[in-house]
Amino acid sequence: MATTNQLGIDVEKYKYGFFEPENYVFKARKGLSAEVVKEISHMKGEPDWMRAFRLHAYEQFLKKPMPTWGADLSTINFDDIYYYIKPTEKMAESWEDLPDEIRRTYDRLGIPEAERKFLAGVGAQYESEVVYHSLKDEWEKLGVIFLDTDSALREHEDLVREYFGTVIPPEDNKFASLNSAVWSGGSFVYVPAGVKVDIPLQAYFRINAKNVGQFERTLIICEPGSYVHYVEGCTAPVYTTDSLHSAVVEIIVKEGARCRYTTIQNWSTNVYNLVTKRAVAYRDATMEWIDGNLGSKITMKYPSVYLLEPGAKGEILSVAFAGKGQHQDPGGKVVHAAPNTQSVIVSKSISKDGGRAGYRGLVKIYPGATGSRSAVRCDALILDDQSRSDTYPTMEIDEQDVSITHEATVSKVSDEQLFYLMSRGVKEDEAMNMIVRGFVEPIVKELPLEYAVELNRLIALEMEGSVG
Amino acid sequence: MALTQPLSLSRAAVEALSERLSEPRWMREFRLRALETAEALPMPTTSNEEWRRTDLSGLDLSALRPDPEVVSGPAAAPALPQGVIFTSLPAAMRDHPDLVREYFMRPCVRPDESKFRALHGAFWTGGTFLYVPEGVEVAVPLGSSAWIQSAGVALFPHTLIVAEPGSRVTLLDDFGSMAGPWNAFVDAVVELIVKDGATVRYMSRQDWLAAVTEVGIVRGRIGRDAALHTLIVAFGGQVVKRNVESLLEGPGGSSEMLGLVFGHNGQHFDVHTLQEHRAPHTFSDLLYKNAVKDHARSVFSGMIRVHPGAQKTNAFQANRNLILSGGAKADSIPNLEIMANDLRCTHGSATSRLNEEHLFYLMSRGLRRVDAVRMVVEGFFAEVLDRVPLPDVRTALQQDVDRKMVQ
Repeated sequence: MATTNQLGIDVEKYKYGFFEPENYVFKARKGLSAEVVKEISHMKGEPDWMRAFRLHAYEQFLKKPMPTWGADLSTINFDDIYYYIKPTEKMAESWEDLPDEIRRTYDRLGIPEAERKFLAGVGAQYESEVVYHSLKDEWEKLGVIFLDTDSALREHEDLVREYFGTVIPPEDNKFASLNSAVWSGGSFVYVPAGVKVDIPLQAYFRINAKNVGQFERTLIICEPGSYVHYVEGCTAPVYTTDSLHSAVVEIIVKEGARCRYTTIQNWSTNVYNLVTKRAVAYRDATMEWIDGNLGSKITMKYPSVYLLEPGAKGEILSVAFAGKGQHQDPGGKVVHAAPNTQSVIVSKSISKDGGRAGYRGLVKIYPGATGSRSAVRCDALILDDQSRSDTYPTMEIDEQDVSITHEATVSKVSDEQLFYLMSRGVKEDEAMNMIVRGFVEPIVKELPLEYAVELNRLIALEMEGSVG
Repeated sequence: MALTQPLSLSRAAVEALSERLSEPRWMREFRLRALETAEALPMPTTSNEEWRRTDLSGLDLSALRPDPEVVSGPAAAPALPQGVIFTSLPAAMRDHPDLVREYFMRPCVRPDESKFRALHGAFWTGGTFLYVPEGVEVAVPLGSSAWIQSAGVALFPHTLIVAEPGSRVTLLDDFGSMAGPWNAFVDAVVELIVKDGATVRYMSRQDWLAAVTEVGIVRGRIGRDAALHTLIVAFGGQVVKRNVESLLEGPGGSSEMLGLVFGHNGQHFDVHTLQEHRAPHTFSDLLYKNAVKDHARSVFSGMIRVHPGAQKTNAFQANRNLILSGGAKADSIPNLEIMANDLRCTHGSATSRLNEEHLFYLMSRGLRRVDAVRMVVEGFFAEVLDRVPLPDVRTALQQDVDRKMVQ
């Protein structure tokens, strides 16, 4: 029997839908202006160049039009959002130093346990600033930097200044401009040449105040021959007014390096999740995006890889699950700008209870990118007749010496499959669950163990009540 | 003479055209209404998603004029079964006004859809009207054509087929021009109304040898248990932007959509297809093959849209592109919008160059490279041509492909 809270939210079903009372050190005004941008920069004690960068980005934000394609964004009210909240005075040194309510939140997500077992470091974002960080000594000795981006700006200003905004300039799109103007938190990762970080770096993100925009800014630099796996997991409590999450993630993968970036996104279903993620890959480098989108009201997110030098590889794996009232518009983009570059995009989307899920993507092959190969595969599963699936792939091919393929299928759960499983004694809802799990299996198996478990559990939760 | 005046978007020009063709009043009013719509609508620009890849900003309509010498209409036909009407559209308007009034740019393609549909409604001339009564089968394929032979003309050809329930008919539409470096503009509309249980096969072959700018639409409305087969071939012109649409409106309807494009030099082809499933138990199968060489560019943008309730739909969409030279481009945008769940729907797209291994194999058998390439290209298009049940058409298209190879 489901229990509901005073908001009518099924607490059992939305396990992560808890929230803590607000207790903030500083809270900026709602709405955005040049003054608010300056104030944010001042509060953070930033260098002049960053303030100038923010103000320039704010001007661009005002000039840029809203996207006219994709999901309906007309209900976003930019004046009704807090652009900066600082939850605690200073960074916590260890887990025990965190305020109780924040610790409770994370305890329920199982972070400390996960850390003990697997994690090299935890960048935990509660509200707009990373409040907890730890990095195992061994990585520090190797010269790996894993900080929140604000601290990185203080402690490694030259590095940040060299790369910040070079992959995604503030002029890129309206939401990248917005993020560039008001960014706060996010992770900064620097992996020196030849260093292989063999345990994933993880950061948990939370949104916990009404109308708080999360504008985190992540920058990852992989020097030649290095390897890192960065894991971003998002779960957000349920609220009644709309929230905006607009992150920017920039990644530079230098010669022969490899970077894998994994996201499991489970925002509550009132969050607009509008994220710009882009990586550049140099000679023989590999960039892999693994992107799972379950929550949010609207997600528009197209992780990109620019293959700039010969031998670079890009891989994008994407899972989207849209339930009632949700519009998942994820996808991917690969630009082949050099010879002998390769890319693979695999997208799996599931829609249910009137949800809308799909894939929107671009594969672009520039002249001279000879010997390039790209394969795109999109599969969609529609679980009832109220739901919708869209596929909008685009392939622009300006070079003859290439091989490009795209395939897509849309189907329902077949009665034969269900019948077979049920004839083996499996109950219908379990059978349905197994089929859906099998459908997303090619992507789930790429996830670190605890995320694979979490994704399977979340899908099982979403699937509840889908039979009968 | 009024008709050789520039194609200004004026009331006077439309009235002069209508006057010269001795049209009934309703058609004159139809043209004037369409003109008003055309005036109200802006020219599409590349900021419009549909026109993103085709830039018509260089098109100057006022520099063009309708051509009274344009030959457009049905070819001579053998004796046809009782009740079949196969005539030029102006003649049909005179002899069968009720039919034309009921079907011409009303239930299928409408002037208010876009600037170019509206212009077509205002300035259409010539064209073909084919009406097949209930249950009648026309065994021989019929033919019609449009031909441009002078520079600077604007041509608005119209083909209208009405196939009553249970009837069967095949029409081959041929569009061509004299060769030359001159410009012309073509805005074509093809309306195919396929009623319950009818079968229509429509093939269009376009081979403008001049620098023609063409925009146009082929749209079929397909009723219960009806079938429409289209083959749309484009070889010629400078800039060609076409829409090919099948609307499946009754249970059991089916549509086969075949396309063949071969571009050379700086030719630009932009083909948008639509498989719209509005009823359950409908079937569509699309195969479009584009080959480009030199600096030619092809765009395939396809959409399968399955409406809520259109269960048990099968929809397939395949686009294959062959890039034959370094400077050629092929874009492929195969889209799906699916709002029903009990269906099978797939699409695939592949773009590749000539396979050197295939060429090597053929050359090791003593073929010259040029012949080996020709064989590979023939093989590429064979998948489309093999599905055309008319041997003469197949042979003719094969010859066209061979000619394009050396152009």
